[in-house]
Amino acid sequence: MSGRQTGTQGFTVLELMVASAVFLVLCGTMFELLELSQKKYTNESQLSGAFQETRLAIDQITRDFNVAGYPSSGVYSNVPPDSSQYAVGPVAWDPNYAVTTCYVAGAGGGTPCTTPGDFDLIVETNVGNGVSWIRYQLIGTTLYRSVVPKTAGADPMATTSAPNVMVPFLTNVMNNAAAQIPQIVADYPAMFPGGAQPIFKYTCDTAAGPQPCALAGNSGIATNIRDVDITLIVMTRQRDMQTQRLELVELTGRGHRVNPD
Amino acid sequence: MLIAIFALLLVSVVAIALIISSGTDSALAGNYRSSANAYYAAMAGLEEGRGRLLPTNGNCIQIPVNGNCNQQPILLLPLNQVFYIINPAPGEVVAPEATGNPATYPDLQYKQEFGVDVSTRAVTKVPSISAMAGLPGSNFKWVRINAFTEQAMGNGGPGVDVDWNGTIDSTIPLFYNPVNQPAGLIVQTIRPPTAMQALEITSLAVLPGGTQKMLQYIVRPLEVYSSSQLPRFTAALTLAGSNVQFTGPGNNNFYIRGQDQCPGSVLMAPAIGFTSDPVSDPSYANIVAGAIPASNYQGAPMNPGPPSAPSTAPASIQGVASPSNPSGMPLGSNWMTPGGLDAVVQDITAGADAIIQGPATPASFPPGMSPTHPMTIVVNGDLDLGSWNNTGYGLLLVTGTLYYDPAATWEGIVLVIGQGNFVSTRHGAGGIDGAVFLAKTRDASNNLLTSLGSASFSQTGGGPSLGKGINYNTCLVNNVQGPITYKVLGFKEIPLLN
Repeated sequence: MSGRQTGTQGFTVLELMVASAVFLVLCGTMFELLELSQKKYTNESQLSGAFQETRLAIDQITRDFNVAGYPSSGVYSNVPPDSSQYAVGPVAWDPNYAVTTCYVAGAGGGTPCTTPGDFDLIVETNVGNGVSWIRYQLIGTTLYRSVVPKTAGADPMATTSAPNVMVPFLTNVMNNAAAQIPQIVADYPAMFPGGAQPIFKYTCDTAAGPQPCALAGNSGIATNIRDVDITLIVMTRQRDMQTQRLELVELTGRGHRVNPD
Repeated sequence: MLIAIFALLLVSVVAIALIISSGTDSALAGNYRSSANAYYAAMAGLEEGRGRLLPTNGNCIQIPVNGNCNQQPILLLPLNQVFYIINPAPGEVVAPEATGNPATYPDLQYKQEFGVDVSTRAVTKVPSISAMAGLPGSNFKWVRINAFTEQAMGNGGPGVDVDWNGTIDSTIPLFYNPVNQPAGLIVQTIRPPTAMQALEITSLAVLPGGTQKMLQYIVRPLEVYSSSQLPRFTAALTLAGSNVQFTGPGNNNFYIRGQDQCPGSVLMAPAIGFTSDPVSDPSYANIVAGAIPASNYQGAPMNPGPPSAPSTAPASIQGVASPSNPSGMPLGSNWMTPGGLDAVVQDITAGADAIIQGPATPASFPPGMSPTHPMTIVVNGDLDLGSWNNTGYGLLLVTGTLYYDPAATWEGIVLVIGQGNFVSTRHGAGGIDGAVFLAKTRDASNNLLTSLGSASFSQTGGGPSLGKGINYNTCLVNNVQGPITYKVLGFKEIPLLN
């Protein structure tokens, strides 16, 4: 017996075509949405990573500076002839460490400091294994960190920049990136007013109270540094996949040294 | 149906991705916030401990146990005695001495420093005041206050050889000697009278989420005049510097007395002390010329032994700079140089109850001064006490000119350091009980001088009464002499063991 079976219904060609079309439209929409979300996720992951790395960097610098200057020579009733046993000040400086002081950020009329500077800071403190020099230096777009035991009579800049001593600490730091700053300003005109942005800004103790070291006159010397304001501008590795704009994280922190009161 | 399930799957994937992304952001921000909160909570603990060491603190911790807050710099806190300020959350137990119980925030750090368990020490616990007034307190759990040694300063690592003698001592509590050359921590069982005990303050903060921080101070008491040996001021009125000027009223209405007015005391100090050479410098002659009538300037050297009767001018006017002066108690060397006195001014200012910008009047004085609550008041500039018919208690430091009105009374120490001018042209029934010290350390442009200049004391009031004058009183001087602050010698963050 032949003929169409009754009681069972199939799809007509038209129905199948309509269903397929709807399926394709929905799939297309879903994949579009998925691609969008993947881009968003990638962007957010990059920003999140940059945020995390920057926050950790600021936290580490702040913690190092908070305990800078320990132990000071003031705890010794008989100051060791070996100056590696104590911290001369909260930071090591250059030139002429620790013979004559230099002036921070152009303060006073004496020799200007090479370090501490806008992109270079050497903290002097004991973090558990004797007095060390902890240096943060921005070279290009990489912030390097080095920790070396303090050596009496040694040059802190040379000691902390020896081969295999400095390790990359934070990458894609844009504070002084001459090549990238114009591109960033094109996307974000309000950023980088006046050009490069210092990572470190210093406040010094003066007879009239704390003042920015640059305005502290003869008190604007390395040993008088009390606070350091830290600003890090970090760019993600890729542009925003949707807008193609550069993506940046700018975070600030403040270190306050206590040693000695 | 299949299409719907597939679509739902895709939407779920997108949603999960977004949730993961935002969750990571939140966690990162939260971790940093917790770390910062724990740091500042531990700092709050350190500051509570440092503040409550002060005798003027209403919640002063009595160290040693049953001691007197006012005597802290003199008494010794032994190594085997440990104080804790505990700050439990509601329903929580904080017992740092129970080192075997991890639930009560045990202090395992102590053993790192001293080599013995803190439970073997005499432990005294006092509650924190951080949650007073019904406000939630800080999240520190305990603050430890104790004596410490060279070995303990290493926090488990090599100690700090503070006297650089090649030995890290672990048995002798460290003291701080501010007049040592250089000033610093000393390791001596027989200590000089100027030495005061340094203390270690350690704070543990634990947040509800478990984030922990441990911070540590090393502090030393700062006194106006560093000495545990009496007297700290060696004259009723001291004029430090060269070519000092002294003008008295020239009548019977004004006195300066060196006899100690402290009940029971047999001490006697010069009425007026000076620091320059009496032969080559006119200071001595200037003072003698102004101290008229001579019988109103009474006093005598306090060593050897109490004199039978007070001398009058000029015998009551003595040099106080040299160890060979009759008192045998020379003024501290840092009180005879502009730099040394400037440091004294800065120290006092750092620990002052009130800092007032001059020109000022007593209207700017803080309320609450009393014999039992003396205050440290610093006036940066001139102070005019005119018509202040009142009594002040404590330490008054004026860096400009002090215009004194004998209608006012001051019980304690009056320092006029800076311009070094004391001027009084009125009359009244008040007086100054304690000690007065004048020194000119700065020129008219406020530049620091290279050597002390010409301080000036002038009392020219012509009325019927110039009050009680200036009366030496070691009780009132000592009442102000409790440490005005505990200075931080060292600060560090300690890696946690527990």
